[in-house]
Amino acid sequence: MSEPFKDILVYLDGSEDSITAAMAAIALTKRLEGSLTAIYVVNTKALQDLVKARIFLDIEEQEYRRDIEEDAGRYLRHVEELGRQKGVDVKTIKSSGSVNTEVRNYLEENHIDLLVLGGISAIHSRRDELLSESDRMMRTAPCPVLVVRDNDSVWEMFEAMPNVQVEVENDTY
Amino acid sequence: MTLTDALERDYIKVPLQARTKNAIIEELVEVLIKNRPTYNHEEILSAVLAREVLGSTGLADGVAIPHAKTAAVDKIALVMGITPEPIDFKAQDGKGSQLFFLVLAPEKESSAYIELLASIARATSSSVVRRLMVKAHTPDEVLQLLLD
Repeated sequence: MSEPFKDILVYLDGSEDSITAAMAAIALTKRLEGSLTAIYVVNTKALQDLVKARIFLDIEEQEYRRDIEEDAGRYLRHVEELGRQKGVDVKTIKSSGSVNTEVRNYLEENHIDLLVLGGISAIHSRRDELLSESDRMMRTAPCPVLVVRDNDSVWEMFEAMPNVQVEVENDTY
Repeated sequence: MTLTDALERDYIKVPLQARTKNAIIEELVEVLIKNRPTYNHEEILSAVLAREVLGSTGLADGVAIPHAKTAAVDKIALVMGITPEPIDFKAQDGKGSQLFFLVLAPEKESSAYIELLASIARATSSSVVRRLMVKAHTPDEVLQLLLD
């Protein structure tokens, strides 16, 4: 392996932190001349759990599933566009199920070298049931994990990278 | 986003004073408004009560999670309250409720909202956590319990 990380995966969850993680992943991919994939998992496991616990009615489950499906498409397109601005092709994957399981399976099946995450909880609890999806991923990923924390410096770094095209779609996420 | 990410000391009220379902919801909304005074009290209350009309959010084992998606909030809000005795919240198991989590989300934060609701459901599925929570006398005790 000529470079330590060639195949990089960034996890998106609809948060600003995950977009920052994507920016860092784009910068890293460009520097390492690697390949970047962005994954968004529609958390149908949580939706089903909420219906099972009767917190959600069926009508709510359907509404939120639709919302999150749309979010997934919007965020993936946005990151694809960010990559295009900087000359990095971003492969996008929309998946559904248990977030941690889907991401771990993708990492294993595609021999990913590095997982990039944003938004790890600042507050720690020893209770397993209080771990976030990102926390679980960080703990169980079969590859090295990069946690992106400082949003401002990452945004500044990303903005400082030269754009490879002038025309940019104005797709707000 | 998990329960520990979202829950803040000023958004916990122990004990709640109200003793009826609608009054509990109103008291939780008041806690939110006290912390975020620019929010519209009536709009939020209407959204939560409208959801209750579809079916009670009183679950089993003394836990209730009134919730709504509403444009009246600009970021996810979580308010927690505990009553000293069980309150009739029309719960699914017919028993009284003592642990109340009001969760509100704006239109565009569905993923974080789902994760937060699932986190609350997981945390309160533990009978130990529920038992300890209802014995908490202060917001700090509640937070400490979650962080232990």
